[in-house]
Amino acid sequence: MSTTDSCPSKANPAIGRLPRPASMATNVDVSTLVDSDGGMIDRSIYTDRGIYGQEMRRVFARSWLFLAHESQFRKPGDFFTTFMGEDPVIVTMDKTKSIRAYLNSCRHRGVRLCRADAGATKMFTCTYHGWSFDLAGALQSVPNETAYPEDFDRKDWSLIDVPSLATYKGLIFGNWDPNAEPLEEALGDMRYYMDAMLDRDPEGTEVMGGVMKWELEGNWKLAAEQFATDWYHVNMSHASALMVMSPTGRGPKADIVATPGRQFVAPNGHGAGFPTHPKSRFDAGPVHEYYDYPALRERLGDAAVEGPMTTGHATVFPNFSYLPVNGSIRVWHPKGPDKIEVWAWILVDKSMPDDVKDAQRLYNLRTFGPSGIFEADDGENWSEVQAISHGFVTNSVPLNFQMGMGSEREDGVYPGQTSELYSDAAGRSFYRHWAGLMNEPAWHENTGK
Amino acid sequence: MSEAINLGSIDDIDEGEAKVIPGDENGTGEDIAVFHAEDGNFYALNDECTHETASLADGWIEGTEVECPVHSAKFCLKSGQAMCMPATIAARTHKVVVQDGAVMLYPNCPVAAQV
Repeated sequence: MSTTDSCPSKANPAIGRLPRPASMATNVDVSTLVDSDGGMIDRSIYTDRGIYGQEMRRVFARSWLFLAHESQFRKPGDFFTTFMGEDPVIVTMDKTKSIRAYLNSCRHRGVRLCRADAGATKMFTCTYHGWSFDLAGALQSVPNETAYPEDFDRKDWSLIDVPSLATYKGLIFGNWDPNAEPLEEALGDMRYYMDAMLDRDPEGTEVMGGVMKWELEGNWKLAAEQFATDWYHVNMSHASALMVMSPTGRGPKADIVATPGRQFVAPNGHGAGFPTHPKSRFDAGPVHEYYDYPALRERLGDAAVEGPMTTGHATVFPNFSYLPVNGSIRVWHPKGPDKIEVWAWILVDKSMPDDVKDAQRLYNLRTFGPSGIFEADDGENWSEVQAISHGFVTNSVPLNFQMGMGSEREDGVYPGQTSELYSDAAGRSFYRHWAGLMNEPAWHENTGK
Repeated sequence: MSEAINLGSIDDIDEGEAKVIPGDENGTGEDIAVFHAEDGNFYALNDECTHETASLADGWIEGTEVECPVHSAKFCLKSGQAMCMPATIAARTHKVVVQDGAVMLYPNCPVAAQV
C-alpha cells in the first residue's frame, strides 16, 4: 500500500500545495502486527520509524487531540503553545473571545512563530524576519513587502488553522481533519466516565498553576494504553507507594488489593478502569472532607460516585489521560518512537476553597507529579520496556494482552461495554482502533480517486 | 493442642534457613515452614504465601521477617502479619519450642499475635 499526502486540504489549501512523490510516505498494512482477538501485539509498533511516521499521518492527523483547558484563556491574546503529535500549535483566544489554534510555524521560513510556553500577546511576530500574524491568524505585516512579486497576497500566507476545534466541559480538543466526526460523538460513552471528574462541580473545573513537563524514554502508546487498561500493575509496581499511602499507615490493606471494579472499553480506543468499592479512595484528606457525597450522588448518580469518581485511570484515544482522584490530566506527546514528553496539569473543581485546592495540588504532586511516588514507578516500567526493545530477537517476541478475553459486556450499571477491573480489554480495543486508523487513508491523502 | 512433632536437632536447620514439613506429615494438610531466624529462635508459618503461590521457606529471612521469593511480600515470623504489599493477609502461625536441643513443632497451635 502506498499513498501520498498531497491532496490539498479544504480548510488549509496550503497543505499539499507542492505535490509529493508517493514513495516519500510509504504506509504498511499493520493487520498482522496487532492481534486484538488473540491478545498479542508485535513490538515493532513501538520501535519502527516508518510506523511512527504513519502514526503521525494517520492517527495524530485525524484524531481529536487534547490541546488545553479553557481556564488557561481569559482575555483575547492569551495563548498557550503545545503539540498535536509532533506538530507545534499555538492555542489562543481571538478578539471575539473564540478559541483558535494554528500551526506554530511561520509561513515564510518555517521557524516556530511563538517560542514562549504561554502568555499574552497582541500579535505573533516571527523573530527570524519579522512576518507578523494577528490573533485570527491573518498575516498583517511583511517587512520589505514591496520586494515581493505583484501577485503576492498576504491572504495566501495566513497561519495554518487547526480546522476542527471543540470543547468538552472545559477541555479543548483539536483535530486536523476538517470533516472530523463531532467531538461529542467521538467521545461517545466516554463522556459519562469523564463527567465523574469534569462535572462534580456545577461551576466546572480549572487548572492550577502551570504545566509540568518531563521526558521519558518510551513509546507514547505504552503510557496511553496503560492508562486505558492497566490496573493489573498497581499492586506490584506501586507496592511501596501503596504502603506509604495506606490509610492507617500501619500495613497493607486487603481492601486495596482485592477491590472490585470495572473497566470501560470503548470501540474507538478510549478506556477507563476504576474500583467500585466505597473505600477505594486515596483523596487528600481535605478534598475528601470537602465533597458532599449525597449531593454528588444526586448530581452524577450513585454508580458514577462509587466507580469512576474513585481511584481510577483513563485514556481518551490517542494520548490524553487522566486520574480523577489525583486531579491529574496529561498528554503523552510523542517525540519519536522512543521518547515521550509528558505534559501534566493539576485539575481542581472551581468552587473548592483555596485551602482545598492547595491540598489537591500537593496530593497531585506527591502521587503523580514529575517526582510523584506512583508516577516514578510507571515511567521506570515504560522506559525499561523501551530500552531493550530494539534488540532484534526481543523485538520479534510479541507481548501478551490476553487478560479478561471475552469478558466485555453491558452490565446494566455502567454505560457501554465494560470488563473486569483486572483486564486487558480496553488495551485490545485501543490497539484495534489504532490499527484501523493505520490501515485507512486519512483526509489529507490522495487516494487516487 | 495438637501433638508436637520432633524435627530433630537445632543444628539441622542453619540460621537463615527454613525447612518444610509437608502437610501430610504435619497433619494439617498444609505445608508448614519452620524458620531459624536471625535472632536465633525458631518460628513456623504456613509455607504458602498468602498472596500467590510461593514457598516462604524459599524466601529471604531478614531479622525476624521472611520475604517471599516471588513478589517480595514480607511476613513477621513472630505473628504471621503481612508487613507489606502485595500481601495483605497474615500467614498462619504454629508454635515452635526448642526442647533439649530439639526443635518441636506444634501444628495447629497458633502463636498469639504480639505486634
